[in-house]
Amino acid sequence: MSNVNSTLRIFLLATLLAFLLLFALRGHAASAPALDATALLKRSDAFRNGWTSFVTRVKITNYESGKPDEEKLYEVSQKGTDKTYVEFMTPREKGRHLLMLGDDMWVFLPDTSRPVRITPLERLSGDASNGDVARTNYASDYTPAYLRDEKLGETECHVLELTAKRKGATYQRIIYWLNAQDARPVRAEFYLTSGKHIKSATFDDYAQIGGKTLLRRLTLYDEIRHNSHSRLEYSATTPRELPDKLFYQGRADRF
Amino acid sequence: MIRVFAAALILVSGACVAIGQDDPAPEQSAFSTRYSLAVIDDATFYGGLSSPLPKVLNQVLVEPTFSLKYRDRWSFSGSLVGAETTFNDTVAHARVKEIYTAFSAGDFDFMAGRKMLRWGTGYAFTSAGVLDPPREPTDPGDRLNLNEGRDMVKADWMRGQHALTFAWSTGELARKGMTVPDTAAIRYNLLLRGFDTSLIAGNDSGSDAFGAITFTRVVGQAWELHGEGTWREKGAILLGAKYTTTAGITFIGEFYTPPNIPYYRSITVSPSAGRQHYGFLNAGKTRLRELPGWKEWDVSGSVVTNFDDRSYVIVGDVNRWFGNHLSSYVHLEIPRGHRGSEYSRAPYTTATSVGIRFHL
Repeated sequence: MSNVNSTLRIFLLATLLAFLLLFALRGHAASAPALDATALLKRSDAFRNGWTSFVTRVKITNYESGKPDEEKLYEVSQKGTDKTYVEFMTPREKGRHLLMLGDDMWVFLPDTSRPVRITPLERLSGDASNGDVARTNYASDYTPAYLRDEKLGETECHVLELTAKRKGATYQRIIYWLNAQDARPVRAEFYLTSGKHIKSATFDDYAQIGGKTLLRRLTLYDEIRHNSHSRLEYSATTPRELPDKLFYQGRADRF
Repeated sequence: MIRVFAAALILVSGACVAIGQDDPAPEQSAFSTRYSLAVIDDATFYGGLSSPLPKVLNQVLVEPTFSLKYRDRWSFSGSLVGAETTFNDTVAHARVKEIYTAFSAGDFDFMAGRKMLRWGTGYAFTSAGVLDPPREPTDPGDRLNLNEGRDMVKADWMRGQHALTFAWSTGELARKGMTVPDTAAIRYNLLLRGFDTSLIAGNDSGSDAFGAITFTRVVGQAWELHGEGTWREKGAILLGAKYTTTAGITFIGEFYTPPNIPYYRSITVSPSAGRQHYGFLNAGKTRLRELPGWKEWDVSGSVVTNFDDRSYVIVGDVNRWFGNHLSSYVHLEIPRGHRGSEYSRAPYTTATSVGIRFHL
């Protein structure tokens, strides 16, 4: 009888332990989706926007069939999450400026009669679009949702799906791979409203600048014309107090 | 033993410091400069000449531009044009397109000198751009960069989404042959819910006062709307829209109706003709990157028409880049209309401009 009792006791104990283990495992499994996607996205933005007010230079090299075929240089001044001013520096674009205030964008052409208002579709033109250069704070433009964890090469990544908060965002949907260790961007896929996969990006290199780890090189792959890609290199990134009036669209004195 | 330990500690901490060092953020220079130089050779060939004029107009233009800025406080900018024109004779001349100094303090900007302002929102026409260079609907992009600024003093106040500008321009310093009035104007600009709206009021010397309202607004993914309403003796209205397709082709359309008063009247329109109605339609695409080998090409075509006398001009533009410094273009104008109509008064049936530009 005592043998039966002890066997029953061991069985009950084992069942209890099994239940506890199961709950513990389920609890752990449930905690993964509870990952704060918004906080993760904000952390990832910090790798592209080191300060609340800063200036950086962006060199874009466009490649056709693997060969570099043109180079462009921009000076980007950014303040907060919604004000960006871009000065075009290459000889063929000199005198051109681009201003982005929230969802509103203007281009100032030296030879046109007025600042030209840019539609979201015009923002997408080009290998690296105006939006790729001027709009890098994804947390203010997109609502993130955690999708899954995935290994990209040797890197453990969290995968987020970003959905545009407004129609004025550069892309309507982004699938975003972030390094699981520190949330730095690793890879992205960009989609239009129609669902068309238009571009992909790999975030290739980071550097320590002014005590911060910042993106140094990004490659954009054209998913429509597969033989075309663009390399964006960031340099001379420096914090700078930028006056609000630099971002006033009616300002005629652009430099 | 302690000495060895201390030495090891120093070495390790030194190594840690070395590993921890990073690129410092670059220092901002107090002075910054910008410059550019454009050299243009433009030849215009006239076909079907109705008067005894040379068939070719050749222009060589040298256009240096420079700016010097001290911090975000003070700046000095200039833009000049040197031109040699060969038509009946060869004539050389130089012009100052812009030369001004600007000072910035707090929410205020002050400027004095010759400067191009762009208050009008119209692409091919404007009634509200009271201090703007004149619009040329057959060449709104000012192909040869010959537009000149007005001599003025200007003060701007900007805070948040509000901006107030006061400008006083004098015609005393305009070059000979130009009739420019003294103008005092004030503009209030507000960006609210995507509407970029301006109210303009002012007075030209020896003429009536004027008032205007302008707006631009982007709607959805592909549309931009713009418009102007101006009162100067009588009302002038401009309504325009821009539409971009997913393929990157942009259409711009404008309807413009100015009263037939001396301020708005084209020299080819009779003073007795009454209110005029104009239309402009442009379709264009920059960088034909979808076609292999055509990435460096830009093309556009326009029609400008006077609805009242049914005359029109067909305009075609093709531009091609060769690297970062050299480009070439063809600009074609074909005016049509019955005898005496506005656009038929050009003394040619076709004007084809071929040019090459060097940029530095």
